[in-house]
Amino acid sequence: MNFSELDLLRPQIYNYLGFKGAKPSPETDLLIGSCMADLEKAAQFNYLYKIFETPPEFLNKPPYLDFLKDSRGVIVSVMTLGIGVDRLVSRLSYTDMTRSAVTDCCASAYLEYLSDGFEKGIGENLSYRFCPGYGGSSVNDLKYIFDILRPEKIGVTLSSSFFMLPSKSMAGVIAIGGHAKKSCKDCFMAKSCNYLKEGHKCYDPGRR
Amino acid sequence: MLRPGEKIIVFDGGFGSELERLGLSGVPEDLNITHAEDIKKIHRSYSHADIITANSFGLNPIKYGGKFAIDEVARAACENAKAAGKPVFFDVGPTGMMMEPMGQLSFEEAYRAYKTVAEISEGLCDGYILETFSDLYELKAALVALRESTDLPIFATVTFDKSGRTLTGSTPEIAANTVANLGADALGVNCSLGPEELIPVVERLLAVSPVPVIVQPNRGLPVLENGRTVYKLSAEAFYESIKKMVEMGVAVIGGCCGTTPEFIEKISVFSGQNVRKREISRQTVINSSNQICVMDGVKICGERLNPTGKKALKEALINEDFDYIIGEALSQQDAGADLLDVNCGLPQIDEKSLMPKVVRKVQEVTDLPLSLDSSNHEALEAAARIYNGIPLINSVNGEREVMERVFPIAKKYGCVVLGLAMDKGGVPRTAEKRFEIAKRIIRTAEEFGIPKERIMIDTLVVTASAEQELVRETVRALELVRGLGVKTALGVSNVSFGLPNRRLLNRTFLAMALERGLNMPIMNPSDGEMSGTVRAYELLSGIDKNAENFINIFKNYTPAQTASVLGIKREEKSAQSLYDCVRQGLKSRAGELTEEELLTKDPMEVVNGVLIKALDDVGAAYEAGKLFLPQLISSAEAAKAAFAVVAQHLPKDRESKGKVVLATVQGDVHDIGKNIVKVVIESYGWSVVDLGKDVSPEDVVKAVNDHDPFAVGLSALMTTTVPSMEKTISMLKESGCRAKIFVGGAVLNRETADRIGADCYTKDALEMAKKLDELYIGGKS
Repeated sequence: MNFSELDLLRPQIYNYLGFKGAKPSPETDLLIGSCMADLEKAAQFNYLYKIFETPPEFLNKPPYLDFLKDSRGVIVSVMTLGIGVDRLVSRLSYTDMTRSAVTDCCASAYLEYLSDGFEKGIGENLSYRFCPGYGGSSVNDLKYIFDILRPEKIGVTLSSSFFMLPSKSMAGVIAIGGHAKKSCKDCFMAKSCNYLKEGHKCYDPGRR
Repeated sequence: MLRPGEKIIVFDGGFGSELERLGLSGVPEDLNITHAEDIKKIHRSYSHADIITANSFGLNPIKYGGKFAIDEVARAACENAKAAGKPVFFDVGPTGMMMEPMGQLSFEEAYRAYKTVAEISEGLCDGYILETFSDLYELKAALVALRESTDLPIFATVTFDKSGRTLTGSTPEIAANTVANLGADALGVNCSLGPEELIPVVERLLAVSPVPVIVQPNRGLPVLENGRTVYKLSAEAFYESIKKMVEMGVAVIGGCCGTTPEFIEKISVFSGQNVRKREISRQTVINSSNQICVMDGVKICGERLNPTGKKALKEALINEDFDYIIGEALSQQDAGADLLDVNCGLPQIDEKSLMPKVVRKVQEVTDLPLSLDSSNHEALEAAARIYNGIPLINSVNGEREVMERVFPIAKKYGCVVLGLAMDKGGVPRTAEKRFEIAKRIIRTAEEFGIPKERIMIDTLVVTASAEQELVRETVRALELVRGLGVKTALGVSNVSFGLPNRRLLNRTFLAMALERGLNMPIMNPSDGEMSGTVRAYELLSGIDKNAENFINIFKNYTPAQTASVLGIKREEKSAQSLYDCVRQGLKSRAGELTEEELLTKDPMEVVNGVLIKALDDVGAAYEAGKLFLPQLISSAEAAKAAFAVVAQHLPKDRESKGKVVLATVQGDVHDIGKNIVKVVIESYGWSVVDLGKDVSPEDVVKAVNDHDPFAVGLSALMTTTVPSMEKTISMLKESGCRAKIFVGGAVLNRETADRIGADCYTKDALEMAKKLDELYIGGKS
């Protein structure tokens, strides 16, 4: 990763580390740079997706119906940084907890960054990624995405409690066209959301 | 025909794409019953193949989500496949779950799933094709379960990505060593990429695989057309790439995603042709899932995980203090060990139960392959079974009974075995007699189906102070044994027992032994003089080409460094006082500065006046938004290191405020928050019993009963695991738990915490540390 790319990631990493708009120390910036270097070596970004003109059956209910309103089609996708990242974060937790926590936050930001890049490659006029479990949808819907995509092929598994492993994996439903916008209104995290408590939004860390 | 190697065998091609073409959807295995005629039609369309694969890929009890009884589906799948009039192989795929330690599926659960596969397919097929595995650990479970159930041929294929590694990080060489040693009749690669892109991987497999190599590529790389994934490679181009691979020595061919009957018909011209003979060098190789250790040149086996003569390790093993064990493993890795010996032999320990736990823990933190060291064959079997990869077993000797107990274990789990050149009569006095025992061990191993390259010989070090004249016999025996074509090992430092200046004797003896053919010194890699001797030998004997490694290690050498020339050191800015050190989070200087403080201050004064003050100041700055998570954790780590030093100066009952049991609840594996809590509360003087992640309510209750903690901390990240947290709390209360129950994690808030019966909810690690202290002081007053 070159410096300018890392700079693109920094705001989101600071956000995950709880900086709330504050300026990090030079030591922290150095630490982030060095964690990102290790992370890049450990990560194996992989994705799978399918494009549908008619949305698959499981999207035929709220809140997806709203989300997909006026869209011309839908993309269902799974993206992952691979199990090497979980292994790195876990191993660091035994030797250097600070690096472990910082690497974890870097990985979350990195996955989003790579996923955004991959989406740009699919096409234009796409909505944000709607992830089952957020925005009033059930995390159980992940199983439909797994039936459709079989992301085991890229090493992503779904546990009986409906979380994905490797843990830096995302499943997304993306509307092609349409007018969907993010909102905290129906989010299941709303009550305990640290962003909201501080008056921020997870999808737009800088803005109140 | 079904035994691969002599004549080329052709498998069928893609199945999913054919189902799609017929417009069939749903659980693919169920179609065997609901659409038997369509399935038969597909199988018949592949009748150019020599072997037909049953439509049973997802048919294991973990993965199968259809509506029929699993054995009924297995029968239908094999029946349908027979319609093509060719031998039928049962298709065995992964479970779709992530294996431990990163995931939740244990080796035994995976083994049981594949044992069921063996049962439901018994008598229905002519062989097995295990395919599309990306985790060799899961493939091991499948191979062990099937191999003990059947003598039919078992072929196994793995998927690799563009980087030439599996999704879990294994190379083709690691895959080949693991799969061949575990008894597959053919091994190779399927799916992954197109045939042309797979050639580099195939080349590497052909260079090392002792068994025939199988290739079933996709129809090239997929491309996107109008939102659909399509494969566009022509049958002609597919044929040309397969032809190249046949010329390279591939023995079994077929197709995967996107290939159709046309493709298989095209490549069926190779069927029955002679397989091109390959030359492979048969090396002695052990591996973990991500690291391989080929026993050529010199390989250092770290000896520090052996409790003999090590009081601290003994205590750690008895108390199952894995942090200490992990520390020893990592320091040997940093010092340059190539593999680690693991020994848990203590009279008061149930070795059979502890050894697998230690092996799991060590494999969680390091990729170094392991040597499983025990005289208890049950402990060896338990550890070899759950080991991820191919381990070394240490050891057998020339006694028939010992070999009869250990060789079957080595055969079943594919291990390399270290044989000690001694028998009932003890260590023979001459090199020739040790050589004879070595020959006997190699011969007996072959009787058990273990080839010579999977045997190493230890010619045994005797103490120079007791048997001075035997030292030469040991090194002479190395030379003789080397002539047998096997690799050698020695526990080097035994030579100097009872003598002064042991390190001088050890390194001199090491140099003597290396020159006579020692491959694997078992030694302390952190002893810079010993490791340095190995590096110097590698340079002087020409193993270290152009002295690259030696220069790299010693380029900044100054004489004062001898004790730790190979250790890794991190430069850190210096702190003047312990207070600054904790505030700035400089862990490496904390111990030394604490010692300085203790020269002038009472231990409790250091704790309250310096450590707690620094932590409180850091905590206040964190809460005020002036310091952030990285600094908070660094300070906690520095304070924890300081605390460890202070504790040595405190009376036993004041070493810690009390115990806190921590766990991420069952069903959840996200433990970073719990790990942060651990460091922070430890820095405040609490002893943490860390139960890890995905911990069952029963295990939490048991730990609370065993440790009688002051508090229990439970964490959960997912809404779906909150019920599991609730169950844990209710079981704790039913068991009469007196400890305060804390909960935390992304989905928790005070309201939920109250609803599920927790005593305290804290939003982060710092708040928990403060709340604990509040309760602690309240309880005392």
